Amino acid sequence: MNSSLPGAQAASAAASAVPPARLRSLQSVGIFCGFAAGAWLGGAEAPIKLVNPDISPITVSFVMVLGVFLARWSVPAFLRGTSHLRHDVRQAPHLVIWAVLAGCMWAVANTLTVYAIRNVGLSIAFPLWNTNSLLGILWGVLLFNELHYAGWRRWLGVLGGALCMFAGATLLAVASSHQAAPGKATLGIAAALGAGILWGTMYIPYRKAYLTGMNPLSFITFFTIGEVVTMSALAVSYRGAAPLWHELVSARTVLFWLMLGGFVWVIGDLFQQYATKYVGISRGIPLSNSNQLWGLLWGVLVFHELRGAGGNVYAQVAGGSLLMALGAVAIALSSAAEREHSSWRDAAEREGRRYGVEHEYVQAGMEGRAHGTVSHSRTALDWLLIVGTTALFVALAVIARLPRMEIGMGWAIFLAFAMLALLSACGISLWRTTRFR
Amino acid sequence: MSEPDLLPEAPRNLIRAIATDLHFWIPLTVLVGGLFLLDKLR
Repeated sequence: MNSSLPGAQAASAAASAVPPARLRSLQSVGIFCGFAAGAWLGGAEAPIKLVNPDISPITVSFVMVLGVFLARWSVPAFLRGTSHLRHDVRQAPHLVIWAVLAGCMWAVANTLTVYAIRNVGLSIAFPLWNTNSLLGILWGVLLFNELHYAGWRRWLGVLGGALCMFAGATLLAVASSHQAAPGKATLGIAAALGAGILWGTMYIPYRKAYLTGMNPLSFITFFTIGEVVTMSALAVSYRGAAPLWHELVSARTVLFWLMLGGFVWVIGDLFQQYATKYVGISRGIPLSNSNQLWGLLWGVLVFHELRGAGGNVYAQVAGGSLLMALGAVAIALSSAAEREHSSWRDAAEREGRRYGVEHEYVQAGMEGRAHGTVSHSRTALDWLLIVGTTALFVALAVIARLPRMEIGMGWAIFLAFAMLALLSACGISLWRTTRFR
Repeated sequence: MSEPDLLPEAPRNLIRAIATDLHFWIPLTVLVGGLFLLDKLR
């Protein structure tokens, strides 16, 4: 298992330390990205609540992934242009395979959750697949030297925080679930645990990419190829091509909401990717899992999901939310110090040697600074992606219809404003610190 | 001539580096397990 790519360009030099002030800035922006990821990943559930429950869950997942696909190509084209993509692939071509593999895993996990919810209900399924954060911590420690030399206080902060968030997630899931768990419990539990294992392990490719210096905007464009191909194959094999097409045509008035859900999800996922890059998977995943809290806020305040519930349910919601918030704060206060970061650099050096990645590229990626001279100008392809995606969303919005349901519009505007404020603040912070690198 | 000999040097090294990376087999095994589980659930 010791083979490595040859070449004088391979990272052989010892990785030099990141200046302490720079390290603190990167850690802070990474933590900030984790919180922003939670808000946008949770907010992605809102448009999907507007969709008629008669539509097959596989079709819902498929259309969302189409929205995700478009967003994952157009947002990076808008932010940096696709020229960077070629530069990243030239530097670390192996990561294309890793990204596609991660995308395949996401699609399978997402489909498993559909079966999990159907068989055991959300209250059991959600906490089970939320174990992904605990698995992520395990992989981070075992494979990427995370939390090495971190000291007991940081260990306690990260592990205790993740467990706290897990307990909070369980309480929230129990409180927000109205379905009685039907039969087929064993298969449902297996599906939920399977989704958690897939999502927790999916972060191995993520961390691999970011230790080696790849830009998250480049990684997600290849990730989404694995995602859309796997999801298309699953949708066609489960539904059949003709029935799937007929369902899409008859559901055309809600396609906009599903694709919007996918688009919002991508913004959250982008922040999650930057969190993974700058604070590692052991801290990035639990912070992103605060999405459940935001999903609950949308459900309770905008869609009145707990209307008529007893005091016991509200007590569970309050307790679960408090536990999640405390867990997130504990993790946020346990960012990596210089000694731990030096073991991350050892892991990065190992990756660079194995895959023959230029040392300077790896180092620049870890420090969030530029490598080489890449044009910042947009190409015709970039504009085609941006204009084409916008035109498609406008066309779908024109034929979209709002279902007849009671919506707390004031709260919807407030939450949307809060998400946009987080997007702006975190986006500006990320741009100032790393220029989206 | 065997199939790997037809590949240019760089891609062949890349495939070898990935195939001998233990980290690669962990997610791949989990993915295969997930597909197997999905098949059972259909």
